[in-house]
Amino acid sequence: MDLLERYLQAIGQSLPPATREDVRNELRANLAAQIDDSAEELGRPLSEPELAALLKAHGRPEVVAARYLPQRYLIGPTLFPFYLLAMRRVLPFVVAIYFIANLIRIAATQNGLGSIAEGLVDSAFQLIPVIFVWLGVMTIIFAIIERTYDKVGKALNLDNWNPSKLPPVKPSGDEKQRSLASRIADLAFHCLWMAYVIEVPRHPFLMFGPAVSFIANLQVTWAPVWHTFYVAFWFLLLIQLGIKIANLFEALGRWRIPLDLTAKLYAIALTGWLASAGTYVIATGPGIDPLQLAISNHWVGLSIAIVLIFMVLDLAVQAWKYLRGHIPLARLAF
Amino acid sequence: MDSSLNSTTDSQIFDSLRLELRRGCLIVAVLAQLRAEHYGYTLRKALADQGLAIEESTLYPLLRRLETQQLLTSQWREEDKRNKRFYKLSPQGETILAQLLAEWNTINESLHKILNHPE
Repeated sequence: MDLLERYLQAIGQSLPPATREDVRNELRANLAAQIDDSAEELGRPLSEPELAALLKAHGRPEVVAARYLPQRYLIGPTLFPFYLLAMRRVLPFVVAIYFIANLIRIAATQNGLGSIAEGLVDSAFQLIPVIFVWLGVMTIIFAIIERTYDKVGKALNLDNWNPSKLPPVKPSGDEKQRSLASRIADLAFHCLWMAYVIEVPRHPFLMFGPAVSFIANLQVTWAPVWHTFYVAFWFLLLIQLGIKIANLFEALGRWRIPLDLTAKLYAIALTGWLASAGTYVIATGPGIDPLQLAISNHWVGLSIAIVLIFMVLDLAVQAWKYLRGHIPLARLAF
Repeated sequence: MDSSLNSTTDSQIFDSLRLELRRGCLIVAVLAQLRAEHYGYTLRKALADQGLAIEESTLYPLLRRLETQQLLTSQWREEDKRNKRFYKLSPQGETILAQLLAEWNTINESLHKILNHPE
């Protein structure tokens, strides 16, 4: 019977003091009766392994004790759908406010493009703990509402809703909605990309890798066309940033793809203008052979032209995919 | 391979649905059985003898919950030199049992109608 008492003691450890003895006494009586019945069937007292098997079949002490406790939820089934809904609705605001606040802080406190880029990269990584803290705060708030649901939670009137305020049915041809995670990742990567673009002029290594020391020894520099290109490119990045932030709130609706296509068209026009420039590097000293410089410019121009071809093809494919779903096939046929 | 996986899934689905189906019925059975006084172990045996086996870890806490809901009354009494807690249906429990049985009969009749007239 020592084993039975040890078992009951283990159960008691997981029970509140108020009911501990009562539950243990009741279980003792029930289990003792069961043990007596088993002994009567066998015609002898139960051996220790047989008693152990009987207790094992009764259940693990912690699990048995848990069944005597009221069912407890951190957030119960009534509130849980609203918890998920609040998460989905508020998360885009948290991300947007975080990035905007950080952009303002970085712009106000950092000097030089390099430190701005570092600040942006840091911000992107610090978003992860910010989201975890926010998730924790939201969970605590909903757990408090759950605990006080009878007094406070019912005042929220969660059952009161109006079917006529539901959004209109989307046309069946609409593109699949992108997930929130995908939209956040898109914005975060775009910020990293912007940071990279800021950083490249200060650290050409990021673009040329180990070849940067070789290039530094050549008596050449970038042609003025790149400065104009850089400013125009930044304009494109800022437009795309706006699109991605708006997309985070699903604010663009059916305009998302047309806006993306327009931004791509702008990028093509910009690249086309760059491809037509002809001069990309200029000599800074007498040690450069003009013929070699001309050949270098030719190859840079050719590379940009190849990139341009791929960009045009990409735009054509994306535009076709979009138009295919929006214009009846008969109107596209020649 | 696929058929064994399917049969495992089917078995899991059946077990889960069976559990749901039994959950409500067990409460009715426990209330009905406790029209006569029992303590935990004899109640379990009585239910098992009538083909409704129920695990101790489910039954004993259920008795407590039903008592908290005032559907059962209980008292400690000595029997066979052991103190035991005896449960019995309370007057409120009798009313609720009658309502539950009426509901169960309605469901049963509806189910029979559906099964006999599938269209």
